[in-house]
Amino acid sequence: MTKVIVVRYDEIGLKGKNRDFFVNCLVENIKRKFAGLEVTRLRAPRGRIFVDLPAPMVEACCARLREVPGIASFSAGVALEPDFDRIAEWGIRWIDPLLTPGETFTFCVRTQRSDKTFHKISTECDFEIGSRIMKRLSGKGLKVDIKRAQFVLEVEIGPKQTVVFHHRVPGLRGLPVGSSGEVLSLLSGGIDSPVASYLMMRRGCRVHFIFFENREFLGRGGYDKVLRLAGILNRFQGRGRLYVIPFGAIQLAIRDRCRPAHRVVLYRRMMYRIAQAVARQNACHALVTGESLGQVASQTLENLEAVSRVVSGNVFRPLIGMDKNEIIDRAKKIGTYDISIEAHADCCSIFMPPNPATRSRIPNLESDEAGFPGQSLMQEAIRKMETVELDESR
Amino acid sequence: MIYLDHAATTPADPRVLEVIGQSMRRDFANPGAVYRIGLDAANLVEKAREEIAALLRLPASYRIIFTSGGSESNNLFIKGTAGGKAACLGLEHPSVVAPLTCAGEKNGEILSGFQKEGRLDPAKICELDDRKVRLLCLSHVNNELGSINDPGEIVPVLQSAAPNVRLFLDGVQAIGKIAIPPGFWDGVAGYSVSAHKIYGPKGIGLLIYDSRFPLAPQVHGGQQQFGVRSGTLPVPLILGLTEALKLALERVGEAQVHLGKLRRHLIAGLEDLSGRLPNLRLRFNSSVSQDHQSPAIVNFSFPPVEGEVLLHHLEAKDIFVGMGSACSAQSKKPSRILTGIGLSEEEARCSLRVSFGRENTIAEVDVFLMEFSRAYETLYPTFARKVG
Repeated sequence: MTKVIVVRYDEIGLKGKNRDFFVNCLVENIKRKFAGLEVTRLRAPRGRIFVDLPAPMVEACCARLREVPGIASFSAGVALEPDFDRIAEWGIRWIDPLLTPGETFTFCVRTQRSDKTFHKISTECDFEIGSRIMKRLSGKGLKVDIKRAQFVLEVEIGPKQTVVFHHRVPGLRGLPVGSSGEVLSLLSGGIDSPVASYLMMRRGCRVHFIFFENREFLGRGGYDKVLRLAGILNRFQGRGRLYVIPFGAIQLAIRDRCRPAHRVVLYRRMMYRIAQAVARQNACHALVTGESLGQVASQTLENLEAVSRVVSGNVFRPLIGMDKNEIIDRAKKIGTYDISIEAHADCCSIFMPPNPATRSRIPNLESDEAGFPGQSLMQEAIRKMETVELDESR
Repeated sequence: MIYLDHAATTPADPRVLEVIGQSMRRDFANPGAVYRIGLDAANLVEKAREEIAALLRLPASYRIIFTSGGSESNNLFIKGTAGGKAACLGLEHPSVVAPLTCAGEKNGEILSGFQKEGRLDPAKICELDDRKVRLLCLSHVNNELGSINDPGEIVPVLQSAAPNVRLFLDGVQAIGKIAIPPGFWDGVAGYSVSAHKIYGPKGIGLLIYDSRFPLAPQVHGGQQQFGVRSGTLPVPLILGLTEALKLALERVGEAQVHLGKLRRHLIAGLEDLSGRLPNLRLRFNSSVSQDHQSPAIVNFSFPPVEGEVLLHHLEAKDIFVGMGSACSAQSKKPSRILTGIGLSEEEARCSLRVSFGRENTIAEVDVFLMEFSRAYETLYPTFARKVG
């Protein structure tokens, strides 16, 4: 018995002439995601992707499909001849264990034909299969309910094979990773930036990460944490890179030579500049940050403007309008929250100003920046940058 | 590598590893099972109990409960002892302070005014009865300072001035560093031990308590260990703990001499540095004398340089020390113990704890002193510059 997983895609279905590009992208992502698993065949006739696979592989493959952006839903089922008796047999096999003596249980059959030459139309198929199941199980409390069935037996009759299944697992939706291009996300180790990265993956971006580190003062804890976060995020995209920038010298220069109230915004302006340079070197077409309006002192309108001014390309802030609880919910769902809340030193207290400015004025920031060699420190930091190729982990 | 953080944990002794490895392969049976191999495993546990009781010279009424470690032992005793209020100085390990205060002020009290130089001031004991304290919980050796609460001094005063107060000691930092003299257990109602602080395995510890007083279980289940602590007994870890305890107690005198030498050498070296480096404002937080002080721990402050940053600079030289505070912007609270003995927040933040072990040498202390002074001199200008 060949098992089949039917994969339905999301927004790709709305695409026009370039639809094949998106479908191929999704197929490639799924293939890569299945690495190490035994899959017989993967094919994409119009509107669907079918995965033929041996029965023992079904559970593992389904688990991995849950992590692939671009999928609307998928269902595991069986491939059969379009024979009503055999289809009904599978329905009975699945429904019978769900019946409880003395209780009513409702079901219906929904058939779709992509093979329009099939000798019966969909509703006739529903009837043929449904009546066979009823004949066997109506004595055990089974009833038909077309609108609110507790169990829906789905049948897809195609030109080459008929697939029968009964449960739709929701996918991540969105677009397949890589279909939109590559972006660079500023990953901090906190709750927000992993969520922002994930949301961009769902918009079809391959997300690389950049982390600003002060190992001299804070040790390796932050680096390890970010590596683990990137590892989790990478499950949704397969591969990506982490750029680690030594940031201690820049922080020291800003701390020693600039107005304390401006420190945080000045750190961020340097981070943005470095991130933009790294993005350009690596063909990333946008920066991504986890900023959310008003969340902390550096994320007021004025301060966001002050950091945005130093770069000329795209800066995406997918969390800008979300509140903290929404972001936390997302982080829990994608599995980064528990790592994000682990205590780690993200900034030594000597670098923090006692009273950070919430409304920095750009001319003042620029006059502060004239007081330290930003350009050469930036070049030096990029020269010392470490690049970590994140493996295609599952 | 120079490892100077033995109060955090110790590397397992090869002899302990050998015992555990052998037992892991051999003693797999559940000691609760009634067939032969189960009974054999149970016999090993009982033999270990007898050996530990002999090593520690436990009186007959004292029970040994195997737990997952020091934190569980402290929790089990404090939460499991009914009747009256429990109190501590607030300078104890969080696994003593937190269970004591989690039940609310009625059941637990921090006696913040009762400490002197990091230990209980015996002159304050007479106030305990008025405060309706029934259980006094102290560190036998303080985990950050190394200060000693000596039951030999405390118990006689308790018995005359506050006879209704029982004494519990967290012994996690004491075993193997200070001797357990004859008569030690008179008046000590409970005592906790952790294996990994004495070159044993992580994941096992002891609660020793006087079973004449009831103790309510905190982990319920299969009624193992007199019903006080349910859970299948980990035979290999128990044997490993026993071996580690044997090695620690047999050589406690030797250890004291060795650790004492290292400690004196470090203190002298730091004092010398303080004379040579005009910027070094050194303050010893642990006692520099041997009186009431563990030979294994030296805690000192050096404002304005932050301890955590110095720690990472030493780490870069492969030297590992401990600290009682974090410089993270998230956890700005400095060590409760250091502020508890009167340090300012800055002094507490700018501190390190060096804790010695068997394998440390005088030469390693010298390397530490050299790297400490280099790191300090590198960092001092940054921290000294007042910019905000």
